[in-house]
Order: sequence, then C-alpha cells, then structure tokens
Amino acid sequence: MEPIISFDRLSFTYRGGERPALRQICGQIDRGAVVAVMGHAGAGKSTLCYTLNGLVPRFFRGAYEGSVLVKGEEVARRKVAEMARHVGLVLQDFEAQLFSTNVELEMAFGPENLCLARPEIDRRIRQYLSWVGLEKLRHREPASLSGGQKQRLAIGAILAMEPEVVVMDEPTTDLDPKGRQEILEIAKRLGQSGKTLLIVDTEPETAEQADELWLIKEGRILSKGKPRQLLTDVTLLKACGVSIPPLVELFSLMGWPGNPLSPEEALSWIDKHGLIPRPFPKRPREKPRPPGPPILEVEGLRYVYPFHQTEALRGVHLSIHEGECVALLGQNGSGKTTLAKHFNGLLKPTSGSVLLRGKPTSDYGHREMARHVGFVFQNPDHQIFANTVYDEVAFGLRMLGEDTKTTARYVEEALATVGLAGYEGSSPFALSKGERQRVAVASVLAARPEILVLDEPTTGLDQAQQRSMMAMLKALHRQGHTIIVITHSMRMAEELADRTVVLKDGTVLLDGQTRAVFAEEERLAEASLRPSSIVRLSNRLGTEALTVEQMVEELKA
Amino acid sequence: MNLFLYLEGRTWLHRLDPRTKLMGTLILFVLCLCFNHPLYLLLIALAIGALALSAKAFLNFWRLRWLLLLLMAFSTLLWPFFVRGSTAILAWGPLHLSQESIAYGVAMGLRLASFVSIGLVLLSTTRNEELTHGLIRMGLPHPVAFAFATALRLIPTFAGAGATIVQAQMARGLDLEEGNLLRRIGKFIPQAVPLFLYAIRHTNFLAMALESRGFSPGAARTFYHELRMRWIDYGTIVFLLVLLGGALYLRLGQGWGVILPGRL
Repeated sequence: MEPIISFDRLSFTYRGGERPALRQICGQIDRGAVVAVMGHAGAGKSTLCYTLNGLVPRFFRGAYEGSVLVKGEEVARRKVAEMARHVGLVLQDFEAQLFSTNVELEMAFGPENLCLARPEIDRRIRQYLSWVGLEKLRHREPASLSGGQKQRLAIGAILAMEPEVVVMDEPTTDLDPKGRQEILEIAKRLGQSGKTLLIVDTEPETAEQADELWLIKEGRILSKGKPRQLLTDVTLLKACGVSIPPLVELFSLMGWPGNPLSPEEALSWIDKHGLIPRPFPKRPREKPRPPGPPILEVEGLRYVYPFHQTEALRGVHLSIHEGECVALLGQNGSGKTTLAKHFNGLLKPTSGSVLLRGKPTSDYGHREMARHVGFVFQNPDHQIFANTVYDEVAFGLRMLGEDTKTTARYVEEALATVGLAGYEGSSPFALSKGERQRVAVASVLAARPEILVLDEPTTGLDQAQQRSMMAMLKALHRQGHTIIVITHSMRMAEELADRTVVLKDGTVLLDGQTRAVFAEEERLAEASLRPSSIVRLSNRLGTEALTVEQMVEELKA
Repeated sequence: MNLFLYLEGRTWLHRLDPRTKLMGTLILFVLCLCFNHPLYLLLIALAIGALALSAKAFLNFWRLRWLLLLLMAFSTLLWPFFVRGSTAILAWGPLHLSQESIAYGVAMGLRLASFVSIGLVLLSTTRNEELTHGLIRMGLPHPVAFAFATALRLIPTFAGAGATIVQAQMARGLDLEEGNLLRRIGKFIPQAVPLFLYAIRHTNFLAMALESRGFSPGAARTFYHELRMRWIDYGTIVFLLVLLGGALYLRLGQGWGVILPGRL
C-alpha cells in the first residue's frame, strides 16, 4: 500500500526554543492506517501533529529541517488553510476551539471556508452530526454541552471538511470515563471507515486499537510497532515515561504468564493457568481510622447560578472530618467545583449552610479564610503573575501581613514540600506545566491552611508528573492536612483517597470508604464513571486491593 | 459560566435580516439624539422596552439591570451641574441648579439607557455569525467584519476567565475591599497579569484553530445561513426612516421636544 504520509529526517526547533522539539523523525503511514503516538510531557507529540497540517512551520516559526509529505506534497510549502482540506487536526484544548454560537454553525464553519454550497453544507452537517451522535443537539449552544459532547463536536466539525487524514491531539484527556469511551468508539469507527488516523494520547487504552504505535522520547521516535507488543514491554514504556497498563504491570510483578489489557483477559489467564485459588480467600477489610472531629459541615446546600438560573447543587449533605483525604468525583457539570467553592466561601449558598469549624463560611473574611482553607485552582496559569517563584509563593503571606522573616521561612517550607527548593529565583513562567502546578500548590500551602482543596490537580500532567503530584499530596496528608481532591482520574481517587464522594446532578450519589465506593460499579456507571482495570479485576476476584502494589501484596500474602 | 447575550428564540426580531437590525439600530441611535426633553426620551425608552419585550430579551435586561440603573443615576445626578437652565432653583457660587438642567439630566440618563438597551436588543436577537455576515454584505471588508465579530465573541470568554482569576487570587488571601487607593492599585497586578497572558494565549490558540479549519481572513467563503431581505425587513426600515424623518421635522422644523435649546 502506498504511504499517505511520510516523514523524512524531520527536525524542528521552535524559535527561541533551547532544544529541538523534534529530532530526525522518519516514518511512513499507509492510507487507511491508524497510528497511535505516546510519550512523556514535552516529548514533541503536539509538535508532530502540527507538522502535518503546516502549523509548524507556517504558524509556529523556527528551524525546520527535513520534510513531511502528505499525498506526495510537501506540507511546509502549503498554507495551513489549504492543508485543512486534506488533514483535519483536532487540537488538544477542545473548549477553546469551539467558537460558534450553536452546534450546527460550528459544524458549518469548515465547509463554509471550503466555499461549499448550502445544500452540501447541510448534508455534511446532518451526516457528521449523526456520525458523532449529536444530531439531537443541533441547535444547542456549544458552551452548554458536556465535556465529551464538546470533544465529539470538535471532531465532527473537522470531519465535516472530509479530510483524508484526521489527526487528534490528546482527544481523551480531561474527559470522564464515559466521555473517553465515546471518543474511543468514534476513533475506532473512523479507522474502520478507511480514514487515515493519527491519534496522540497518554492512556494505553487508546493505543490498543491502533494498527501501529509510535513511542516518542525527547523528540525522537524510540520505537514503532504493534501496540500489543509495545504496550506489554514494561521496560520500554518506563523509558518513555508512558503509563504502563496496570494489568500488564501486575502480571509482570507477579511473574505470571500473559499480558492482559482488560480484566476479562486477566481472568481468563488466571483461570487457565490456575494462578491463584478462586474464589480468593477474603481478607477482612481494614477498619477505617476513627474520623476526627468534623471540620466542614454541609447541610442541605442548594446553589443556583445567578446569571442563568440553573441549579448546580440541589440539597447536598456532607461532612468532612479532620485529617481525611477525600476524593470528589463526578461527571463534568455534576457540581464538583461548585461544591468545592463553597468550602472556602468563594460561593455563598442559595439555601442550606456550610459550616467551617461550626461557623458559617460567610462569617470569615477572605484573609482569615486563606489560613483555614487553601484552594488550588485547576489551571495554574489563572494565578501565576510574579517574576520569581519566591514572590509568587510569598504573595499570599504578604497579603496576610506576615513579616519578612516568617514569610521567608514559610515560603522555604512550602517550596521544599512541593519539591521545588532551589527554584526561588526562577521565573514561574519558564517552568513546565507540572512545575507550575506545584508552584500554585506551594503558593496556597504557604499560608498553612488546615484544609487543602485541589481542583483537578493532575490535568495536563504526564505519568511521571502525576505520580509525583500524588506522592506530594500523600506526604501532605501524612503531615496532618485535611485534603479534598476534585478529580476525574479514577486512578488518582483509587491511589490517594481513603474516602470518595460521588456527585451526580448536584446531589451526592455515593459517599463512603473508597474501597466500598469503587466496588459499586453499577452505581458508578450512573455517574458515567468506571473504575480502572486493576480495580475492576479486584472487584471480580473479591480482593481488597485498589492499586497494583496493594494487589501484589495481597496476592502474595 | 454563560455570559453570552444571544438568546435563542424565534420572535419576529430574531427572524429579521441582520442588515435590517444593524440599520435599525443606527436609526434608533439617531432618533435618541433628536430630542433632549425627558418626556420625549421616556417615550422612546418605553418603545424600546416594548421592543425588548417582543424580542423576549428581558433576561438580559435583568442581568444588566445594575449597569442600566447606574448609567441613569449618574447621568441624572451629574448633568444638572454642568448645564444652565433659566428657572434657577439653587445658585451658590459656581454651583447652579435649575428645573431645566435637572430635566436635562433625567433626559440624558434615559438617552444613555436607551443606547445600551438598543444594543442589548440587537445582541440578544442576532447571532455573532449573522452579525459578521450582515456587516460583510453591507460592504465592510472581510477581515474587519471578522475582527469585530471575534472581539465581540471574546468579551464574554475573557470576562469568564477574569472572574476565575479573581477567585483564584482571593483564595490566596487577596482582599479587594481593603486598603487605600495605592494599595488597591497594587492589587490590580495579580489579576491583570494572568488575564493578559490568558488573553494572548487564548487568541493565539483561536488563530490556530481557525486556520486548522481552513479559515483565512481575506479568502472567499460561503455562509450556511443565507441572508434574505423579506417584505417585513423593507417594511421595518421604511417605518423607522419615516419615524426618523418625522422626529427630525419636529425637532428642527417645529422645535419640539427640547428642554434646553442649542444642545443635542
């Protein structure tokens, strides 16, 4: 088969960049093939995507060497808008790439630019909306859609231009498990329909379905091959900083034969080889530590957003105890962030009450509140403004009126806790996303709040960065902080939290010990959530483990 | 957070051609400038209120009620001190108040509120895309029309980001209600820098997204929503023009609707 895309010794360094983003990329993609690309943060995955429709080097300037041919034509010589006919690129941030006032016009935008006639545009809107399953939402405003729906719309809007090559840059990050499933379903059908597809992702689940997997490290292609082969090569994946499929890791640590990717496969391997006795002898569930005194009490909390009169919270009852580590789960729009913003009084209840140490949150001033409840927002770039990391972290303390000496001491401690000691003089803007996220945590931590609330702290972080963020949160928890994490990452909840609260449509759907909550797969599915493969296996085996390490320990005991 | 002004609907105002609405907006603006008597302006303001009612746009008026009230209040309170009428109520040094100047202040308040309301009705009933298309069809160059529409589109996005940034900084102990003027200005930086950077990043990303979807500013393109002037469009424009002609005749020919002569 003839290749539709071929890279020939392609290297690229962004203007002002210190080191090349891509180095000597060579490779070919056959017409109709599905290629998955994985790699650590900053490996050059997005840059690779941009070279396919000419954003690199036409939009992002820099030193460009070698070539990319799409359908035999050199991309760098063409305008981006021209390339858009052949290569459809779905960008990483799906929120920001939707700009129309309703779904149908969003779909029409590309075809309009192709100067198509109205009946043809209409046909494409109809065809591709049903392709991505949004035909019923044709007249809705994009901003009112759920995360998964937005991403599907972004894909549909690209498909409506009928490009032969579709490129997706991390289409499933920031999505809840159900949204992710929907996107993977679309990717699969795209592959079957004969489109050429290049899909970048951090989750091994996505790569499983591909014809070929490329692993990138520091701008170089480290390995190319069949996904099944590469995904079960633990050493190689580790070297690339890519997350290892948990069941593969389990089987390798246990020294078992087989490289299962799904719990069903794992069970069939276990039964075939009689690896462990089934049913596995039950181990008594660990008694939860007796809870400390309640620190946050939420009673019958209702909240209505003043602008559009939507009820985001409808009667939430919840009490958080001192020293707990709680994960707050739920779909986009379930009310997680709205609830959390009540914890430090950023929002005031429409009705009901939120008590902090027995006193309504509205009775605390902003500065007093900062000492009780620290809130780390999802996007560190919403708060970083200072010239140096030191000033950034010291900002809160200065606002609170601490003297220079105390400020210096607290800043030093906070930076040490987040693992950024020695970065005091650096510019926060020059740091990586993972490091900026840590600066944001440190800047909140410096005021030494009793409670730490984090909104999606692992968004946009790669495997290694996520691990270190979680390790840091565990350490903070051990130091006695009460921690509340809003997340859509199941693994984060499983590994970190001793208690999990699941929200659905503004009410509490499930609340309990994390192990118990994650055993209720059917209830979780109601909230579009699905435990990770290791926990699903654990549920089928009847074991207590929530993580690979715990599983190994429990099975070997 | 939803900060868009467009309200989904099928009222007759929604269905008017955007060109009609743009022209109508212009005519109504001029109409507001015809008189400076509060009673006449009250009549105009009430008519615009009726228009808003028929466009089912009241939600937006409710959202922006403070802005409207503030404009009216400020204008009513401040104008009387800057113009002189003949029937003095209070004369104390340079301070001078008269019946006419107070009435003029009320009229100016109504005029400002009417201006905002007209714009609000336009934006409540016209999609951004329609506005762009309308402007292009009225002869504005493509890039200018797109720049205008995109700016309009980005305001709510930036406002939303701004709100988040303020919250993020407040959670770190930023207290906006405290301190003298100088200190308060200093507190502006932690909000302005992230917002500025956000705006740059966002705009850059948007440009990428637009190009990736085949958009280039000057190039020819088609529009999914075809614009079509119907009899009701022509009727509306003719009606408004007659209204404006009448108003100009009353003001210029007859000298009606004037509380302070010689002023706009």
